[in-house]
Formats: sequence, C-alpha cells, structure tokens
Amino acid sequence: MKLSSIINKDCTKAAVLFNSKKRALEYISELASEHLPKHNAHEILDAFLTREKLGSTGIGKGIAIPHGRIAGIDTIFAILVTNQSGIDFDAIDNRPVDILLAMLVPEGNNAEHLKTLAAIADKLNNKEFCKQLRHAKDDDALYQLIALQD
Amino acid sequence: MVKAEDTFLIQNKCGLHARAATVLAQLAQQFDAQITLYQDDKEAPGDSVLALLMLESSHGKQLRVCCEGPDAQPALTAIGELIAQKFHEDE
Repeated sequence: MKLSSIINKDCTKAAVLFNSKKRALEYISELASEHLPKHNAHEILDAFLTREKLGSTGIGKGIAIPHGRIAGIDTIFAILVTNQSGIDFDAIDNRPVDILLAMLVPEGNNAEHLKTLAAIADKLNNKEFCKQLRHAKDDDALYQLIALQD
Repeated sequence: MVKAEDTFLIQNKCGLHARAATVLAQLAQQFDAQITLYQDDKEAPGDSVLALLMLESSHGKQLRVCCEGPDAQPALTAIGELIAQKFHEDE
C-alpha cells in the first residue's frame, strides 16, 4: 500500500508547533473535517479521543498513530503532522511524540485495517525515513517524502 | 540460557491491531527475556509496537512466540494468556 493513497497532498503539515496532545488532535480534526464534508470537527475529535481513552496511540520512538472509526467513509483518510518539539502523549516508551500519523478508518473491515497498519508500520519503522520526516521544512517537502517513499 | 516457545492462535476478531500490539509490547517489556514473535516468514521483537504491527496477524493466524532469558517461561505463559484472553477484548 502506498502512503500517498491515504494521505492527500494538502494533508501533510510540517513543523507545526503544538504543546499538547489535545491541541494537536483538535487541529487534525479541524483539518480532516475540511476534507470530509459529512463530518464536523467535533465528531472527528470524539472518535480520536474515544480511542485514546482505551490506551495511548503513542507507539514509541516519538511516533503516534491516533485513529478513530467513523461511519460514512469508504476509504481510510489520513493526515501526517510533524511537530517542532515533542508532545507528551503517554506513549508506550514515555518519549514525547513529534510524528503524528492520524487516521480515520471506515467501520468494519478488520483485515483491510491490519493491512494498512502493517504498511504504515513498515514505513515508520525506517529510522532514516522518520529522520527525513522530522527535518521536512514545509508541507510540500513532507508530502514529497511520502510520494517518494512509495 | 533458558528458552521457551509455543504457538498460539489469534482469536480476537480484530487481530493484532494497534491496541492489541501495544498491550502485548507493554507486557513483553515487563520480563527479563528476549521475546521474538514469528508469523509465516516474518518476525518481530515483542517490545516493538511497529514491528508487531508489521506481522499483520489477523484472526485465525498462528503466532509463534519464542522467549529467551531468565524470565522466558513466565513471559511465554503471560503472553499466551493474553492472546487466549483476546487481548482483553470482547470479541
């Protein structure tokens, strides 16, 4: 699976500056709602927060994959954000998070979801790729990294 | 070096998704043992969520768990129980 198949060109945001998990998720929800006209930002934020309550999506190495299931979308919709400094995310290794790959996932279809997670994990497990993501100076540079990686 | 290994069936509906992988990695980190999971031709260290996700272990898959170190046996038992208990999920 190509990352560019789930992340639109205007859904990469580089070097943003949020100081909390909540604020970062609010921003991502607002951005997502601009692309998903049937869903408002509040509803999307709820989906993310519901999932975070079950356990942090901070999976270690400064990476978080906040996600939520929402009805009425056909395909996975993702947003990639890099933060200038690490945010406390209650991550598994207690490290602050500066790469957020947020996903909104259609209801059901567990096999497809696992396949997407595996593909994303494969990319993010590459230290050099993560380093490049962290150093992307603007949104376009961040998107180009995604497109090139594919 | 103490070694212990066994194969477990993934029984929860969602498989080894992000939350299940995180719970497993958190459990693996508690033991003084090197834990490696194998599925088909893929392998993952038990304490890495990213690597566990790359296994793409779905419902019905067989996961081989190998533990090596002083805590090998208790680690294997605990991981086996977690998988059997469907990662504390309802279905």
